[in-house]
Amino acid sequence: MRVNHPTRAKAVLPEGAPLLEIADVRVSYGGIKALKGISMKVMAGEVVAIIGANGAGKTTTLKMLARLLPVDSGTVRFRGEDVRDVPTEEIVARGMSLVPEGRAIFPNLTVRENLELGAYLHRDKVTMAETMADVVELFPRLGERMVQEGGTLSGGEQQMLAIGRAMMARPELLLLDEPSLGIAPKLAAQIFKAIRTIAKSGVTVVVVEQNTRMALGSSERAYVLRTGEVALEGVSAVLAEDPEIQKAYLGG
Amino acid sequence: MMPASGKGVASVGKKAREPSKRGWAFAAAALVVVVVLELGLERMIPDSSIRQLLMLAACNVLVALSLNVINGMAGQFSIGHAGFVGLGAYTSAVVSAHLHEAMGGGEVTFAKSFVVVPIALLASAVVAGTFGYLVGLPSLRLKGDYLAIVTLGFAEIFRLLIATAQLGEKETIGEAAAKIGKDGVVGPFFHMLQVGITSLGGQNGYAGPKNQGLPLYAGPFWVFGLALVLGVLAYRLKFSGWGRALRALREDEIAAAAVGVDPTRYKVRSFVIAAVGAGIAGGLMAMNRDGTPTVQPDNYNFQASFDAITMVILGGSGSVTGAAIGGVLITFTVKAIEAVQSTRVVQDLKSSVPWLDLNALRMMLYAAVLIALMIWRPEGLLGERELFQKQKLRPLKLPKPSPDHPKPDEPDRAPAAAANEPAKPVVAAADEPAKSDGDEPEKGAPP
Ligand SMILES: Nc1ncnc2c1ncn2[C@@H]1O[C@H](COP(=O)(O)OP(=O)(O)O)[C@@H](O)[C@H]1O
Ligand SMILES: [Mg+2]
Repeated sequence: MRVNHPTRAKAVLPEGAPLLEIADVRVSYGGIKALKGISMKVMAGEVVAIIGANGAGKTTTLKMLARLLPVDSGTVRFRGEDVRDVPTEEIVARGMSLVPEGRAIFPNLTVRENLELGAYLHRDKVTMAETMADVVELFPRLGERMVQEGGTLSGGEQQMLAIGRAMMARPELLLLDEPSLGIAPKLAAQIFKAIRTIAKSGVTVVVVEQNTRMALGSSERAYVLRTGEVALEGVSAVLAEDPEIQKAYLGG
Repeated sequence: MMPASGKGVASVGKKAREPSKRGWAFAAAALVVVVVLELGLERMIPDSSIRQLLMLAACNVLVALSLNVINGMAGQFSIGHAGFVGLGAYTSAVVSAHLHEAMGGGEVTFAKSFVVVPIALLASAVVAGTFGYLVGLPSLRLKGDYLAIVTLGFAEIFRLLIATAQLGEKETIGEAAAKIGKDGVVGPFFHMLQVGITSLGGQNGYAGPKNQGLPLYAGPFWVFGLALVLGVLAYRLKFSGWGRALRALREDEIAAAAVGVDPTRYKVRSFVIAAVGAGIAGGLMAMNRDGTPTVQPDNYNFQASFDAITMVILGGSGSVTGAAIGGVLITFTVKAIEAVQSTRVVQDLKSSVPWLDLNALRMMLYAAVLIALMIWRPEGLLGERELFQKQKLRPLKLPKPSPDHPKPDEPDRAPAAAANEPAKPVVAAADEPAKSDGDEPEKGAPP
């Protein structure tokens, strides 16, 4: 996947600086505190997993990053710049794309229209066609179903479409919220394979998963969230051996 | 269009944007048709009530097309569309009547209409669009029923302000405006507004500054011509990037925001666009050559808003051609019911059964038609689809597999880029095993 953002000339990220850095971030829904001061760092090119039980605050974290939720306090830096008060469309333009939880595609729009919307901020037709060719290469099934309505796809195909749509924005950082949710295991494996392919092409990936085994298996580092706080963090392979994690999330 | 050989991705982006020869031919033919109608409709259809019906149908098509932007594409719910139509009607009525006077009165000619109609309609579009913006603002915070109430409130306030204005002292707007600043600003300003609204004729309607009847400048050329032009625009809007974003917003606001669509901007703009369309439709109704030379507040009551919603739902919410069909059908249905009401049989029935309410009868017939439709076609005649829809039929924009381009579902497919394409995709295809993985389609296969 070519990484190229015609919409904005960006500052060069200093060597060794994290692509994404959040510190002591708090987010609440009305009175309910969903994130109670979390800190994370993601280096360019990494695949980072966020795991944790239902309601731990994983979706909240990603929505906060995509600027779909206001931050109560703390700092959010993307590419070294403070993005706490940057609107979502600007975040997308700067190279961060979210694949929302649960098949958030546009069901009555065709597959092509769904993908074209992903490139909403890249009005350049040639670039869009190239990116679409890349996405179809990643998910050939989408190419076969271009004129079909998104809602007529299978669950797994819809997830592919949602990821493909996010890739249409040519992101530098891809945020994925439970890509394997409610999808047949075989297709889930395929989707994770595609995520690794995306990562290999140089896109940084943050993936939220309840399927802990798969998440730890496909990522380099991981954060474990528990009721709005970072309970553990570390190298995924090490976390996978952690007895506490095995007991709590790996059913062993 | 794509070259027959389908060479590489680079060609994909160059989908011909220039209007095709067919497009020009179509436009030229349409121009000839509307000019012929302008000059010859009276001879072709001597019955002015039928001419009036046809032109009203064209205006209603515009009403339905514009409401479809809010109710169909944006997924908001407005039940006060007649308010925008009425604003447009009154604005055009006032502007065209004054322009007519300023040009020395006299006969209404086709030549003069090229001055009067564009200016009047522009004024209608600006006034209605401004109110569309104001009414659209609450749509950011309100959803569904609550927003509907705001739109209804707006339409009724507009209508009642005019209808209940007391006709009293004869003061001109100029005289009233001159008082602003002399003894205060706010008081005299509202006094001027009141004088202005009063000069619109109250319940009896507005018939020009000297009450002689409005000059009716909008002949078939303008009415059918604009219905055609705006219809094509509405169709293009739906499939433009803008329309796509709007429809995306309707389907999933979070997902739309996640791809960079700003919900705020789109919601308000959809209201403005719809209001501008309604304003133009209203202006054309007010200046309709075969219409009545007055505009009356009751033409823009809740019934009219309701008719507009019916047009959109009947044709299929979200479908542009559907809205057009709905506009025509409802216009004719309403007229047909009125015709039935005045037949001998019904009139005899009425005289033998004095308590029979003919208006209620009309509503019952109307309701029966709608119920029948909802039973047979719950999504409206077309659903969200279009007549003559190219979008769905157009095959993949991507290069077709040719001998040197393996089939797309082969895992080790070569990069789609052709030799003249400098950048090479880095990503290889994720392995795609055969279909049977227990992952069934959600809905039935599309047609
Ligand atoms: N829209 C909302 N309104 C109120 N509370 C919410 C909302 N969304 C999530 N929450 C709460 O915030 C916490 C974190 O939720 P979420 O981020 O969705 O968790 P996860 O994605 O890890 O399952 C939960 O306690 C949840 O109940
Ligand atoms: Mg979640």
